[in-house]
Amino acid sequence: MEERSRIVLLAAAVRLAIAPFFMHAGDVGTIYESSIMTLKGLNIYDFVYAKTIQMQNATGLPVFFEGYAYHPLLIYFFAPFYWLFTVIAGTGPVMIDGHYPSVPVLIYPWTPLLLVMLKIPIILADLLVVYLLAGMDTRKAKIYAFCPYVIFIGVVWGMFDALVGLFLLASYLVSSRNNFLSGLFYGLSLLKLYTVVLLPLYVIRLFGRWKAFAEFMGGLTLTLLPVAYYLVVSPVSVWNVLVTFQGTRLMGGVNLYNFIWIVQDLPFDLAVSMIPNIFLVIALYYLITKFGRKAPLLESILAIMFAYFLFGKVINEQFLVSIFPLILLSRECDYRVWVAPFVFIFLRSPFYYFMLPILWTSPVFYGYYLQADDVWRQLQAVGYLQIPMYAVGVTFSLLIFWNLIRVVDATRGVIVSATEVSEPN
Amino acid sequence: MTVYFVVYIVALSFVPLIHDTLLAQSRWLGYGTGAYQYQNQNYFILFNDPYDGSSKPHIHVNPGFAPAARISLLEFSDWTSWLNDHNLFNEFNVTIRASPQVLDVAYSRPEIVIHKYVEASSESVKVTLQSEKEFTAHLELWRWVMTSINGISIADTTKPLVITPTTLIEFTFEDERLQSVGRGRILLSAMPSQVEIWPHEKGFNRITIDFVNSMMSLTVSGSMEAVGTPSPTWNYALLPYVLPIVAVTVVALYLLVVKYGRTFKNRATRRSS
Repeated sequence: MEERSRIVLLAAAVRLAIAPFFMHAGDVGTIYESSIMTLKGLNIYDFVYAKTIQMQNATGLPVFFEGYAYHPLLIYFFAPFYWLFTVIAGTGPVMIDGHYPSVPVLIYPWTPLLLVMLKIPIILADLLVVYLLAGMDTRKAKIYAFCPYVIFIGVVWGMFDALVGLFLLASYLVSSRNNFLSGLFYGLSLLKLYTVVLLPLYVIRLFGRWKAFAEFMGGLTLTLLPVAYYLVVSPVSVWNVLVTFQGTRLMGGVNLYNFIWIVQDLPFDLAVSMIPNIFLVIALYYLITKFGRKAPLLESILAIMFAYFLFGKVINEQFLVSIFPLILLSRECDYRVWVAPFVFIFLRSPFYYFMLPILWTSPVFYGYYLQADDVWRQLQAVGYLQIPMYAVGVTFSLLIFWNLIRVVDATRGVIVSATEVSEPN
Repeated sequence: MTVYFVVYIVALSFVPLIHDTLLAQSRWLGYGTGAYQYQNQNYFILFNDPYDGSSKPHIHVNPGFAPAARISLLEFSDWTSWLNDHNLFNEFNVTIRASPQVLDVAYSRPEIVIHKYVEASSESVKVTLQSEKEFTAHLELWRWVMTSINGISIADTTKPLVITPTTLIEFTFEDERLQSVGRGRILLSAMPSQVEIWPHEKGFNRITIDFVNSMMSLTVSGSMEAVGTPSPTWNYALLPYVLPIVAVTVVALYLLVVKYGRTFKNRATRRSS
């Protein structure tokens, strides 16, 4: 068996062995709930918006229900697998009330099967990334295939940033050969919206090459049709969920901004959360005008995504997966940057966020779970966890900054030498 | 560029401290998914615990000798309180609105709307229940634990005890961590129909108050005094002071690694070549 296939099969085996037993209740719960609604033909955005209005009315605060706030296409990656699950297990409830802080009720024996089914798109995305990387460098493919961080995000938590990573990688790989496909894959990478910061880069690179530009935009537009449909069908809901919620989120995550979590004053927090936006716009403008057209595409994408990781308001633990394949392809970047978000997971997440199903199988395990969760909450309440969380957040931002500087320096060198070649005198 | 960025990190790390000292005092602040808090020189009040919806409100006292410490004084529990025989937590629609000084919590059912107003001053915290119609109330106020209530200690009773109805309830408590004793008092605006105290191991953990009225206010106050010499203790309220230190430390380590790490690497490379 050739090594490429062996790596892919091993990566699949590791993931399938873990997938049935763990989950992030909030995110898997959202996908489960949204898959059910999609199969019933219900409007997911109307549901999320209604919940938000209900919460805002009850609390008098600008709070949002954290449900399905993604590209409409995303759910169509999962809903077919949920449908397959219902063919086997029926349509009875398997996970009841999984939204934080409610602890979900899980129905056995179907929970492990549901988890495997809902994680299949993520596992397939991971395997395709491994396959593509192995075609270029088997060492890099192995790093991705067996990186504890990537495995944790995909099959322990069940988060789908691997899909974003796959499509971003694909968009980059085909960009020199097929602009339509590049645009299509880039459009699909918007499943989680944050790669939208790359759009000005693609536009400026293709600006003036009108045929290539039209092809790229054609591919991209195709993926945006579902958004347009929902904007026509329920404009208020879609605007609230995709724009207002995502645009006015409270800053924080694995970054230098998570200090805001200890400032318990939501209107103030939201006002301060606008500060990084200003720097993000400045950084994007600088990087795109300085390097956008001249620098290699890989380094340009990474530089912009690094700028987003530095000045984007919300950088959750899983976001790095989306650019991890590209980081592996770049000679300038240090891929070990994954360690920081991986450590952060264990500092930030209550027990509610992982290990659930395996501990839910017996009242004894469940008792242990509740005791452990209680200890975690006490540590959280007195503020012991906030200090290492902040330290890790700042460290991650600095590591990203270091990588950004390396990419920019190297790119500057490429641009200078290219200019010297074209202008020998 | 590096200098600008590390200055940015350090500057932002002071935001919690600036907020805490300049903006957070003596006004209601909302956060999370519907929690509210109020802090003044003497009291810290939490309303609607973000984890489980308890604490409505939970009044803490800040001892003069340890201002950052938040010592539980009294918790009003919606989980275990009833208005017109309906549980406050589960059987009412609740909406919260805050002005800087007053938190207005409206409990509504088809037949009645009852407001719970929470107001704090430097002397006390006033919790008022008010409706346009008369209502029956069974309120439960918790603390783990009160060593005595209106002069009655755990030595006097091992069973729940109905005490003489009164508009003034005084209790004492201890805090081992701060080696201190505390006093609390609850002043009622009208005579209740029944007051009952509930023993639990080393003291009383609950006071239940029953009344029929269209308005009742409970004015809660408390104070603490050190008995021994309390050792310095960590508290959540100290976090705003710690984060700038963390930021400076991490940034300094980064700068050291970038500077000397590269020099060390260059030396190692030269030696090996």
